[in-house]
Amino acid sequence: MTPVLWDWELSAEAYAVRLGAALMGVALERRPVDVLPGRETEGQAFAALSPFARLPVLVDGETVLRTAEGALWHLARTRAPAWLPAPLEGRIADWLAFAARDLRPALAAREAALFETPSPFADAPGAARAGLRALEAHLAERGFAGGRWVEGDRASIADVALFPAVALAVDFGCLLEDYPALRRWSRAVRGLPGFVAMPGVPEFL
Amino acid sequence: MSAFAAIEPATRAQWFAVAREADLGSPFETVLLGETVRIAADGAAEAGGRRLATRIACAHLWVCPAEAAPPLFPLPEMDEPDRRIAACGGVMVKASGLRLIENFLDLAHFPFVHTGVLGEEAHPEVPAYKAEIRRDVDEVWATGCRFWQPQAALGATGGLMVDYTYRVPTPFNVVLYKTCPLAPGRMDVIALFVQPVAPALSRAFALVAVIDPASTGTGLTHFQQTIFLQDRAILENQRPSLLPLDPGAEMPTRADLTSIAYRRWLKEKGVRYGTTLDGGAPSGAAGP
Repeated sequence: MTPVLWDWELSAEAYAVRLGAALMGVALERRPVDVLPGRETEGQAFAALSPFARLPVLVDGETVLRTAEGALWHLARTRAPAWLPAPLEGRIADWLAFAARDLRPALAAREAALFETPSPFADAPGAARAGLRALEAHLAERGFAGGRWVEGDRASIADVALFPAVALAVDFGCLLEDYPALRRWSRAVRGLPGFVAMPGVPEFL
Repeated sequence: MSAFAAIEPATRAQWFAVAREADLGSPFETVLLGETVRIAADGAAEAGGRRLATRIACAHLWVCPAEAAPPLFPLPEMDEPDRRIAACGGVMVKASGLRLIENFLDLAHFPFVHTGVLGEEAHPEVPAYKAEIRRDVDEVWATGCRFWQPQAALGATGGLMVDYTYRVPTPFNVVLYKTCPLAPGRMDVIALFVQPVAPALSRAFALVAVIDPASTGTGLTHFQQTIFLQDRAILENQRPSLLPLDPGAEMPTRADLTSIAYRRWLKEKGVRYGTTLDGGAPSGAAGP
């Protein structure tokens, strides 16, 4: 059965799932949701699907995933195990939590810059830079050891989960000038077979 | 000093979209040309203690900062009963509103910015077309534009040669008429209404009015939002962020005829807000 993604072209988190599915070679059925300006995710019908009033939602048979990280884990586990190698599971889970927690301010800063969405963070761009610096330090260290990816010797769902917030930082004016390792890694992700972009993902970084 | 008094008449005495009609219903504040405008639940507008002229048209609320408001430009296609209307909502862009209009007028960027949708890199040619300032209506028009598009509209099922007509009725508003893939002889209408917040900060409202019975409203909105966000990424990185109106700035090419007419028209009218001629604005590197 084809998993169903409740989707918006401009949602960075829905993009993480689209990107992951494309890289893993998994077909998705996409159901567009009028997040803005229609505020459909705030309505009753959507609440029945997810209590979080947010995209993405991935429905695969009986299983409903309400976060990008959960959806990526599920797709890899059920269809593309190479993207979630067993020996690295703990570290990959760690990075998914990092994406959801420490890179969340980058998404909030982006949504504020694009749509004036009120941000739950006092200084979202500042908090975003702190998250990006932490990832930059990790990838720089990986680079010294000859590693291209966040964990392991091939791309994993950790790379997929982290990519949207990094690549779309340009949407709030952060061009990653001070993050050479992030730029190198983002080029590597863009070069993966099956890679798909979304509006705003720059080709010049 | 009264609200908007420092803004030149060519910009002040115009209509600006400041909200979608569908989003009215509770009071809010918005910034137009640097002034805070308070919008009441019923759409009444006030700035600096003065009531502003308002209109509901084209699925948006319009405000005119001048005391004597000119007529709002007509868009008769909005009254055709079989048109699907999608008001796609506001998107903020860190660039002059005039830059947004000029980018909307540019055919040459389609293959490179909207690859696979409004253009493809194998067909970058812009055939000759005509751009003019129409004195009788005081609008800029570009006619006879033709372009090969892989997916001209959401309802299109393959590539086609698309006819384009552009119309700039006021400095911060632009309307595009293009071949409708589903209704031969009629034109789809796509408009961009720009609310200048500051000289180099804009809120852009896209409006789609197409003949396409099959697509969902959400589908039409998402198609247009995707196109606009591709443009936004380019617009935010253009330098200067203000529209260069000084002579010699940015050498035009053949495909930029509409841009040349637009800039000439703005200069003739005395529009300075959002341009490099505005003394109060940061100048940026405008030189050639």
